[in-house]
Amino acid sequence: MNQVNDRSRDIGAFVPAPDDDMIICRCEEITKGEIRKAVHDGMFTMTEIRRYLRTGMGLCQGQTCAKLVKGIVARELGISPAELEPATSRVPMRPIEMHIFANEAK
Amino acid sequence: MSNCAEVVIIGGGIIGCATAYYLAKKGTSVIVLEGSDHIGNGGSSRNGGGVRQSGRDPRELPLVMYGINHYWPTLSEELEVDCEYHQDGNLRLGKTEKHLQILQGLTDRAVAVGLDVRMIDSDEVRAINPYLSEEVIGASWCPTDGHANPLTTTLGYYKMARRLGVHFITGEKVKELRKIKGKLRQVITENNVYEGETVVLAAGLDSRQIAATVGIDIPMQAAMLEALVTEAEPHMFDQMLGTAEADFYGHQTKHGSFVFGGSSGLEGFTKDNGTPVTNSLTAPCICRGIMKYFPILSDAKIVRTWAGWMDKVVDGVPVLGNVEEVPGLVLACGFTGHGFGIAPSAASQLAELIVDGTTHVDLTDLRYDRFKAKI
Amino acid sequence: MKRYDLIIVGAGPSGLSAAIEAARRGLNVVVFDENEKPGGQLFKQIHKFFGSKEHKAKIRGFVIGEQLLKEADEAGVEVVLNATVIGLYQDKEVVVRIGEAVHHYKGDAVIIATGASENMVTFDGWTLPGVIGAGAAQTMMNLHGVKPGNKVLMLGSGNVGLVVSFQLLQCGCEVVALVDAAPKVGGYGVHAAKVARTGVPFYLSHTIVKAEGEECVTGVTIAEVDSHFQFIPGTEKHFDVDTICLAVGLSPMSQLLKMAGCEMEDNPKRGGQVPICDEYGRTSLPGVFVAGDVSGIEEASSAMIEGRMAGIVAAEYLGYMEKEELDSNLVDLDKALDGLRQGMFAPKNRGKDIETTDEGIPVSKNLLKHGFVADDEIERFPGVTHAKGIHPVMECTQNIPCNPCQDACPKHCIRIGSNITALPAVEEGSECVGCGMCVASCSGQAIFLVDETYEEGYASITIPYEFLPLPEVGAKGNALGRDGKKVCDAEVISVKSIPAFDKTNLLTMKVPTEYAMKARFYKEA
Repeated sequence: MNQVNDRSRDIGAFVPAPDDDMIICRCEEITKGEIRKAVHDGMFTMTEIRRYLRTGMGLCQGQTCAKLVKGIVARELGISPAELEPATSRVPMRPIEMHIFANEAK
Repeated sequence: MSNCAEVVIIGGGIIGCATAYYLAKKGTSVIVLEGSDHIGNGGSSRNGGGVRQSGRDPRELPLVMYGINHYWPTLSEELEVDCEYHQDGNLRLGKTEKHLQILQGLTDRAVAVGLDVRMIDSDEVRAINPYLSEEVIGASWCPTDGHANPLTTTLGYYKMARRLGVHFITGEKVKELRKIKGKLRQVITENNVYEGETVVLAAGLDSRQIAATVGIDIPMQAAMLEALVTEAEPHMFDQMLGTAEADFYGHQTKHGSFVFGGSSGLEGFTKDNGTPVTNSLTAPCICRGIMKYFPILSDAKIVRTWAGWMDKVVDGVPVLGNVEEVPGLVLACGFTGHGFGIAPSAASQLAELIVDGTTHVDLTDLRYDRFKAKI
Repeated sequence: MKRYDLIIVGAGPSGLSAAIEAARRGLNVVVFDENEKPGGQLFKQIHKFFGSKEHKAKIRGFVIGEQLLKEADEAGVEVVLNATVIGLYQDKEVVVRIGEAVHHYKGDAVIIATGASENMVTFDGWTLPGVIGAGAAQTMMNLHGVKPGNKVLMLGSGNVGLVVSFQLLQCGCEVVALVDAAPKVGGYGVHAAKVARTGVPFYLSHTIVKAEGEECVTGVTIAEVDSHFQFIPGTEKHFDVDTICLAVGLSPMSQLLKMAGCEMEDNPKRGGQVPICDEYGRTSLPGVFVAGDVSGIEEASSAMIEGRMAGIVAAEYLGYMEKEELDSNLVDLDKALDGLRQGMFAPKNRGKDIETTDEGIPVSKNLLKHGFVADDEIERFPGVTHAKGIHPVMECTQNIPCNPCQDACPKHCIRIGSNITALPAVEEGSECVGCGMCVASCSGQAIFLVDETYEEGYASITIPYEFLPLPEVGAKGNALGRDGKKVCDAEVISVKSIPAFDKTNLLTMKVPTEYAMKARFYKEA
């Protein structure tokens, strides 16, 4: 937590790749190319990527794509995926209907 | 990279990012220091997305109106990101006569400053939003209000400022400000010392502690706000919503999900857990609030809830501008939970203040020296 | 608000084990699980488990699940199913969705035993219907009785990929290939061998180029990769399939811990984002413990021991047990867990190139490359001997923590010794009676009974056989070699299914004597 992170450091230019149109986040239909471009727009953390693109914000809350996105971002930044902190987990762990969430058992 | 710039901004939220952007556009060199690991990690990413004039204090109304006229309509093009700005009006809903009285008071005060806002009856409310329950008996209606996506807007400012050469550093928590020869000059973090001719303090709640290091005390406190988001639903309406009772507020996003904020009534006394972790009682309470107004949403699935600390100032409006006692210090904090909609104009005016020495909108009422005893 | 001594999230092997231990010490324990059936992954595990007999070896996973449930019930544990924990809040408050309401509970201690979820891998077409996780395939087959597909390609040669491939075969699917980008089979050799001998080809150093099809999967193309995992042009191979199974690892489901403010770390050796905890599951939050895959991906056997540890640690934390008693209890559990973490597949050996067994025998390269031990390699292992009359041939060639065969033989023909990972050897001077208990006891299906002097010119070979329908005695078919290719004609001379074999049928076939050490599977012609 709280690692000094210089957002102006050179990560090279965005280079288009043949698989850029591959869907990575299925719930929100975000492609590999969009994720890679976001990194070059300065989104250096998993949290920023998520807020910028909505990856992992769909019904599965990143259960499927979190690791995949992480791998792509890490590669773009030239670091190990382990250096990227996953985005925060949020209540509810599973989607829940409003009327059920509202209904607190006494 | 140099640790010196003409302006050092403390805080990488929407205020810090937008101020950096407008300064950079004017050719000013800027460093932005963000204490957390992420840009826009405070209220900027934890709010309901309102771009509202109605319901605001008359002292800040001119500033937000300036933003809605000059910045919001073209912001997506300017920032090259979809800010999802909708100017489809704000309904502030009432269910009781007492609610209507509250709304009337707010409306009268806003009309007096020149805002197009009026009271409407239940038929007109339902003509605007047919999904509302029969319990709603009236509302205030401000057709020029709206909403936007706080996440893409904040990060859009960041992206463009960065592109203009603003130097952003995250994970750089500011410990202390230091005057040199009577003028604020140094910003000291755990790891480094940064220098600027002007220091903008836009660190939300943390601003109080940082300002204290140069003997400035901003009367503000933490209060926790919470919000929730549903799965994507078919498109229903485009207005921003609030209620006289303040039991929830929010809108439907472009994505289809509904973002609703609200409270449990225990805010202000929330245990400080160090991080903004939601309270187990709040989301169910927000759900109950929403369902009273929108029974149709009772089957919508909640996918996520979140919390954020609000920098709640004693009189409810932000603290903006120079501080005479500390030359070189510019405050931009205390937005009290409604800083998102006002951010573009607040930031642009601060940039004007810093570079030109004058502003288009008079900021006098928002200055730090306004705080006085009651008698 | 209702308060429990201990709230456990997850009724899988670790959660139930923790609940049993804690409840036996007098704690008021509740276990919540979002599924309609308890037992977690155990109820999908129809194969026999490895390990020592003290820790449920040679028992099928779902039976272990039933045993745990019974023990939990007897200990007074409250297991609440269809109960989705939606949040772990401050002060160890657990909010659970049950039916049409949410319930708030507090635990003086909380054990998170939520397990893991499957990883995905991307390739062209990976989002097509028909691309599924291996765990999902297992759920379909073993919980719901649904055949996942007809022609399947499996990606991933770890134990999950190997075990599920075998189950797909048992389910009646055709497994067209088992593919892994790694240059070596990742899982137990015995699991690989039982798949390979049925004729499934292994493609190591290969991965999927693309899944084909418009609306759903109709085919797949794989290609060889170089040491940097880049495709080698010209090595593409196409298969017609309707299903692609992905067995590319698991990730701990640690979200509840993260949201509760536990200190976390990203640890690739543990499978991803895991709580920082000590060896007994104590996290950075006092009173919050973890057990099982959520704290690092391992096997169900170790998850059960970790659960027991967490259960008694929680008991001591809440004053239901003295520190001395805890320490003495932990000694035994430490030993058991340590035993499971030995051998070639031990966590400490991950990623290492192991050239020889503990006994100093060169490992089978062919097994790692093609999934089976080559005919010219097999004779160097201590379980493979020649003798007059019927005798066991144990094609167990890697040091793995497993020893049921040693105790299975009523005549003490098989020796592993005190080191549970040692290769089984034939005890000299012992006399095999051909009862077949060793064959049925071997979780890896690696033990055969061979009688090279069955009758003039013919040998008999008894193999473990877990496919239906069972061949009739007298049926004539093909004997397949370890590589799954036909070696000779064979005739079924006996099919034995007795309760003691626990659903492993023993099929005995007659083959010409020269194929006695080659024929290892029977297939109808």
